[in-house]
Amino acid sequence: MVPVAVLWWVATPVYNRVLLRSAGGILYLLEHPAVTDLMAKGDHDAYIVRRDFPPAHSLVYPFRVTDVHFHLLLLGALFLAVPGLSWRERLGNLAAAAMITVAYDVLLIVFIVEFAYATHLGAWSLAHYGAFARNFYGLGKHLLDLPFKLALPLLLWCAFYLPRLRAAPATDGPEKT
Amino acid sequence: MSRKRRKPSHPRPARPAPPPAGGPLSGGGADGPGAGPGGGAPGASAAARLWHRNRREITFLVLFIVLLGASFTLISVNWINDHAIEPFTGGIARLSGAVLNVFGQHVALHGTVIQGPRFAVNIRNGCNGVEAMLIFLAAVLAFPASWSSRLAGLALGILAIQIINLVRVVSLYLTGAYLPRFFDASHTVIWQSVVILCGVLLWVFWANRLPPQDEPAT
Repeated sequence: MVPVAVLWWVATPVYNRVLLRSAGGILYLLEHPAVTDLMAKGDHDAYIVRRDFPPAHSLVYPFRVTDVHFHLLLLGALFLAVPGLSWRERLGNLAAAAMITVAYDVLLIVFIVEFAYATHLGAWSLAHYGAFARNFYGLGKHLLDLPFKLALPLLLWCAFYLPRLRAAPATDGPEKT
Repeated sequence: MSRKRRKPSHPRPARPAPPPAGGPLSGGGADGPGAGPGGGAPGASAAARLWHRNRREITFLVLFIVLLGASFTLISVNWINDHAIEPFTGGIARLSGAVLNVFGQHVALHGTVIQGPRFAVNIRNGCNGVEAMLIFLAAVLAFPASWSSRLAGLALGILAIQIINLVRVVSLYLTGAYLPRFFDASHTVIWQSVVILCGVLLWVFWANRLPPQDEPAT
């Protein structure tokens, strides 16, 4: 886990910007007119900016981008620690899982933006989002930001390696028990 | 430890040989066990083959996602939070405070707040180990095993997760008191990852030690 953590920490500033640009692109496609910017603040934080708000109120919501993707630590540790596989196979599987994780992280940022719009802007939120939308984005952000973010590495690991885990007791049980 | 359950009306295909783990949920070939029904569209046939070859794995993943979503939705209900999660978190705060006092920190408790002369922490959702417990619970319940194995795994796993979480809370307090500049990273990234990783490893350990004859009860 330590080498993965070092690599993650070094790559985080670049990855944060990639995530912000990707999520910003998706928001650009979803919004009519497109008014949202995701502005990086330092290496780890970002602001949601609305261009249609007065300049004094355009920074509507801050969030920590680094917190979005620390599950990559778990993903790396789990995928690289699988015994009995060549490094080529481990890294190949990790790369495939990491691509899914990147897509998840982009989706989470989109949900964070919509959650902020739906629930954190007071009267503006009430005027533009109905009760269902507020609950949808609130619950969606809650589920994506906590349980599924934390469980995603395990889910992906299971998708790749569960058959091996299930087969292990039957094939080399005596060694493991 | 447990008896093998069989449903005569739905015989299961034999367990396939250990897969090479070349990718997620092998699609398999037409000669695999439970090869898809012939004559259908190629896409449907491939999907049927995928399902037949990986039925247990797919069932596990779907059940895991459903249980995880349902349990976290449940604890997000205000009434559950106020009547179950908050008292539980208060208990963790009391236990953590007691341990810190054993270490001579002279802390006092105010609800879920541990207040000391040098630092104070408020134990909130996310710091009470409930997330790791629910992920572990969903994984154990979704995994095909006997109920006795599941209950034993849950009891020991949840106890272990809470012990790890106790170490986390105590160490975070001490980090905040003596190394405050490391507190944020330690709080959000390091310990969160460590507690979840411990939950995952406990589950892998549990699933790996299930007896071979421990067939599904789902």
